[in-house]
Amino acid sequence: MQKQDISVQIQNVSHSFGVEGHAKHVRALLDTTMDIHRGELLALIGPSGCGKSTLLNVIGGILSPTTGGASVNGKPVNGPMPHDIAYVFQENALFPWNTIIENIRLGMLFQGVPKADHEGRARAALKAVGLSEFADHYPGQLSGGMRQRAALARALSLDTPVVLMDEPFGALDEQTRMVLGEDLSELLSRTGKTIIFVTHSLGEAVFLADRIAVFTARPGRIKEVIPVDEPHPRKASFMTSDKFNGLRNRLFELLHDEIRKTVNLRSGSTGGF
Amino acid sequence: MRARAPITGFMARHPRLSQLATIALFLLVWEITARFFVDKMFLSPPSRVYSEIDRVLNTKGLMQALTLTLYELSAAFVIAVAIGMAIGLSVGLNAFARRCFMPIILLLYGIPQIVILPLFILGLGIGPPSKIAFGVTHGIFPIILAIVAGVQNLKPVLLTSARSMGANRWHVLRYVVLPHMMPSFFSGLRLGMTGVLLGVLLAELYVSTAGIGYFTGLFTQNFDPTRLLGLISILAAMAIALNEFMRTVERRFSRWRGND
Ligand SMILES: Nc1ncnc2c1ncn2[C@@H]1O[C@H](COP(=O)(O)OP(=O)(O)OP(=O)(O)O)[C@@H](O)[C@H]1O
Ligand SMILES: [Mg+2]
Repeated sequence: MQKQDISVQIQNVSHSFGVEGHAKHVRALLDTTMDIHRGELLALIGPSGCGKSTLLNVIGGILSPTTGGASVNGKPVNGPMPHDIAYVFQENALFPWNTIIENIRLGMLFQGVPKADHEGRARAALKAVGLSEFADHYPGQLSGGMRQRAALARALSLDTPVVLMDEPFGALDEQTRMVLGEDLSELLSRTGKTIIFVTHSLGEAVFLADRIAVFTARPGRIKEVIPVDEPHPRKASFMTSDKFNGLRNRLFELLHDEIRKTVNLRSGSTGGF
Repeated sequence: MRARAPITGFMARHPRLSQLATIALFLLVWEITARFFVDKMFLSPPSRVYSEIDRVLNTKGLMQALTLTLYELSAAFVIAVAIGMAIGLSVGLNAFARRCFMPIILLLYGIPQIVILPLFILGLGIGPPSKIAFGVTHGIFPIILAIVAGVQNLKPVLLTSARSMGANRWHVLRYVVLPHMMPSFFSGLRLGMTGVLLGVLLAELYVSTAGIGYFTGLFTQNFDPTRLLGLISILAAMAIALNEFMRTVERRFSRWRGND
């Protein structure tokens, strides 16, 4: 992979919510800079509330940062870029009044895909996440994990070079997550997409990512970027290797300090009562 | 399972039957009261109202009056829905407009409009326009309120995700906002229909020189409860039919709600 081949560029992004000096002022993200290569899988991991979703929203053009900015495929981001970026949100964002396949078709309609292609692409995306049989179910009839897979199928059907995923498997148990991770690793290495995903699972980060960006506690900054030198698609045997465990332990150490800080901060602020 | 009396058990399994039984009981009480306890100058038994319904329909000019009322109702309903939707959407989708105008809308809704009915007559005359207008002002508020409420609790992530996939304004309205507010939109339509009915009939009764109001006045003054109740039954049947129609449409559009 060539270093020059940069897909997503994050430059000095800082973001604060609310008005400075106000009680509700929150500095969510502090001076984050990072380049993500084409075809790379970058995992973002960090304590809850450190600004991971905020960063994805900046890249996705949903949030305009207080300072700095992002660019995707050489174009500066000033709003949603439906042809470049697909975004799988942390919350369930399927339309409850549409069936799964209608949801997927609707995404393509919004993006401007010719009608003739909708059915074929929707079926293919459903198959990729193993939900073919549930095409005509409503989101309310699926389990949490199935809903997340449906949302992923909708994003994949849009066929964008960049996919942002905010805890795409948050509702799944560790084992299913890993099995699905295997399939995903296979699928993503085939499509050559650039993926930035947030996860709270150390194992998932190591198993899927090419690089892992570890965030500090709020206000979030990138504390360290850990490369995972292992070709895709990865097999289940990687999960039991020493390399995997070494990386996982390293991640745990880095995160442990930061999470301790977040928790202390919180107990400090409520200590007065 | 506990043992239940056979009849109540049977009824419990057939809610339709209990419904019919209640109605039958009501009619029976009415029949008995009218036959044996009340002067027939004031009340007619349902059997007589029913058997003499053609006497109501054959009253000279009554069919025209009913047709006119139906026309006024439809016109008022269409106008109330069109304006109500426009106001509801523009107020509901904009936080600033909501803060500005919602208090005013609620204030206006709170006024018992019957006190300003004379103004309508004064301004629009005693013909259909004043009745349509009065129907509109009664029907429009529940529609506005239902739409504003329906638009409110839309999950922001649905809007964000639609926009991130490239949805334009029309897409957002057609595929996100409208389907989301369908259920409350329909309950708004039903309440609006009730309001329109109330408004139009109130105005009709108030201006009793023509239309339904004239005939209710006429039948009352002639101590003809049979025809009066017959006319009322026809109006009630019209209201029930409209309401049931709305409910059927509503059910069709909110199928997904059942399994959310
Ligand atoms: N819309 C908002 N208004 C005000 N503050 C916000 C808003 N969204 C996020 N924040 C603040 O910004 C901080 C970062 O939020 P963000 O959602 O990016 O965290 P996160 O890293 O994704 O956390 P998690 O892992 O729990 O999802 C939070 O601490 C929160 O207090
Ligand atoms: Mg988040």
